Amino acid sequence: MAAKTKVRSAKKRRFINNTIVHVVLAILAFIWVFPIIWVILTSFRAEKGSYVSTFFPQSFTLDNYVKLFTDTSILNFPQMFMNTLFIAVCSCILSTFYVLAVSYCLSRLKFKLRKPYMNMAMILGLFPGFMSMIAVYFILKAIGLTEGNLIKLALILCYSGGAGLSFQIAKGFFDTVPIAVDEAALLDGCTRWQIFTKITLPLSKPIVIYTVLTSFMSPWLDFIFAKVICRANSDQYTVAIGLWNMLQKEYIDSWYTSFAAGAVLISIPIAILFLFMQRYYVDGMSGAVKG
Amino acid sequence: MKKRGLAVLLTAALAVSMFAGCGSGSGSGGGKENIRLMVWSPSEDQSKDSGEWLQTMCEKFADEHPEWDITFVYGVADEASAAGQVAQDAEASADVFMYANDTLTTMTDANALAKFGGKYREEIESTNSEEVIASLTKDGELYGVPFTTNTWFMYYDKSVFSEEDIKNLDTMLEKGVVSFPLTNSWYLPAFYIGNGCTLFGDGTDESKGVDFGGDKAVEVTNYLIDLEKNPNFRIDADGSGIAGLRDGSISAIFSGSWDANAVKEALGDNMGIAALPTFTLNGEEKQMMAYAGSKAIGVNPNCDDMVAAVELAVYLGSAEAQRAHYELRNVIPCNTELLEEEAISGDPLVMAQNNTFNYTSILQPFVSKMNNCWTPVENMGKGIRNGSVTHDNAAEQTESMNEAMNSGGI
Repeated sequence: MAAKTKVRSAKKRRFINNTIVHVVLAILAFIWVFPIIWVILTSFRAEKGSYVSTFFPQSFTLDNYVKLFTDTSILNFPQMFMNTLFIAVCSCILSTFYVLAVSYCLSRLKFKLRKPYMNMAMILGLFPGFMSMIAVYFILKAIGLTEGNLIKLALILCYSGGAGLSFQIAKGFFDTVPIAVDEAALLDGCTRWQIFTKITLPLSKPIVIYTVLTSFMSPWLDFIFAKVICRANSDQYTVAIGLWNMLQKEYIDSWYTSFAAGAVLISIPIAILFLFMQRYYVDGMSGAVKG
Repeated sequence: MKKRGLAVLLTAALAVSMFAGCGSGSGSGGGKENIRLMVWSPSEDQSKDSGEWLQTMCEKFADEHPEWDITFVYGVADEASAAGQVAQDAEASADVFMYANDTLTTMTDANALAKFGGKYREEIESTNSEEVIASLTKDGELYGVPFTTNTWFMYYDKSVFSEEDIKNLDTMLEKGVVSFPLTNSWYLPAFYIGNGCTLFGDGTDESKGVDFGGDKAVEVTNYLIDLEKNPNFRIDADGSGIAGLRDGSISAIFSGSWDANAVKEALGDNMGIAALPTFTLNGEEKQMMAYAGSKAIGVNPNCDDMVAAVELAVYLGSAEAQRAHYELRNVIPCNTELLEEEAISGDPLVMAQNNTFNYTSILQPFVSKMNNCWTPVENMGKGIRNGSVTHDNAAEQTESMNEAMNSGGI
């Protein structure tokens, strides 16, 4: 009898604990999701203007999305979207390659500058990237990359150029792949390149995915470099500049709801990438594959 | 050895590309002079929906000058941000661009703005009011061709307020709901200036400093505290004023010509536009005084064909171009000849803006120290809103605002 009550009270206690935990989690989840829901609701709002007195829109419409793609005379959103996509995809490919190659070299090859390079990268990584912004602009101008379509190239260079410095996470992962595997491959006559592409990379899918994700997101979302380098070339604007423009004094009243629609749209490619690669992502962050 | 070879190769490649980047020449063919002019304007001036004002005007300009074979390159930079772009890198910026006059020192400090002299200056001076010219003059030199004035005034609902009511803010507050951007430092000083506070003497003398202290300023702070507590008063922030006009909860707001279309949509035929009202301070009527400025066309001193650039700037600011600008985009003209025309002077928007500019405004100072004046005023507005500025500490808070405005910034 006594044992039974004990069991029941333990059950009860667990139930209470679970309830408290779930309530807290629900509140936190609500707080986190709240702004996103608000943006999505605003993007479908039919009332114009930047300020409304009610949380839920009075009426819904798709016009904000339609306007983004049809009203291109002042702010050409489709073009900005394509510009950004192109730049992001190119710099994603480039910087993924840089990061993985540098990480592999630092993890596997022994050379004199290895330690100094890692220290240097560590120190350089402490400075914010936009510190060099104006210098980067003048260098690009001297090479003649700040006009016309070359701006896209300039931005791709900007976003991928520093990738070699952010090798730490990928290198840490490569370090956990046993070196014996490499040695076995060397004995079988593999070159370093073959080891890299045929053995290390297939064993490191999580970190490859992680690198692809992060290197896609930074150019996709960047504002500062794009703003400094694009200047008055409106046909080269990226989405971030376009969205920023929509909030200027002259446009905010008529473009505010379309701004929300644009914000929803640019999160779609990222959301797709994440959904598609999510399980790898978690693996990649949590640590290594053993042997 | 191999590595050094690579380094030399890289250096050489860099050097070659740098030369390639710098090389640009202007040739001449067929007796005509080849000219390349880069022009920046806000994107509406170039959009098809609003009639491609810039392209049309530039082509007309080219037709008027058969001696030049002009290639126009268009870029987008609105008046407020153009100064930043030009000052960042004048050499790679437009030859002709539009800017707001409060950014004038940004560019003159960077040597990025050409002076107008001789016949051009005479022409500009003869077609503009003294106030407008003064807004573009620094140390006796004229730095641009004005094409519109820039200030704020009052939009109101005619069904709520009569022509008599709108003369005084306090009368208005008895009859309907008024919204004012109390936390915005472009608007808030209107009350202080109305009661005799001054900025840099007449706005140009940096050494005189800011005078937002003493009894005259404390009186205004006390007035504003009461104003904020008035049940018929709303603070306009983040577009709440225009939203209130739409749903009818607010009957008057203070804003500029950029909101004209939205207000028209919200109020329809009841839309009223007027210069600033007075306010009653300790039984006396004081006139609110807005900051006013102008927008102008500037020329880059680094351009290759100075004459053509200056001619184009003067043309874009001419009566003809201003008329087209007004017809296509509702940009309010400032050319004195145009303002006398009935079609234009009959427009209440034009009248309100010009009346404000001429009678109920001061020239917004563009001396460098003006940059320190924005945040303290904004903080005062915010303090009044959240109740940290009260009648008890008004004198103290006003004094510290005055001190902050006179200090060297951060």
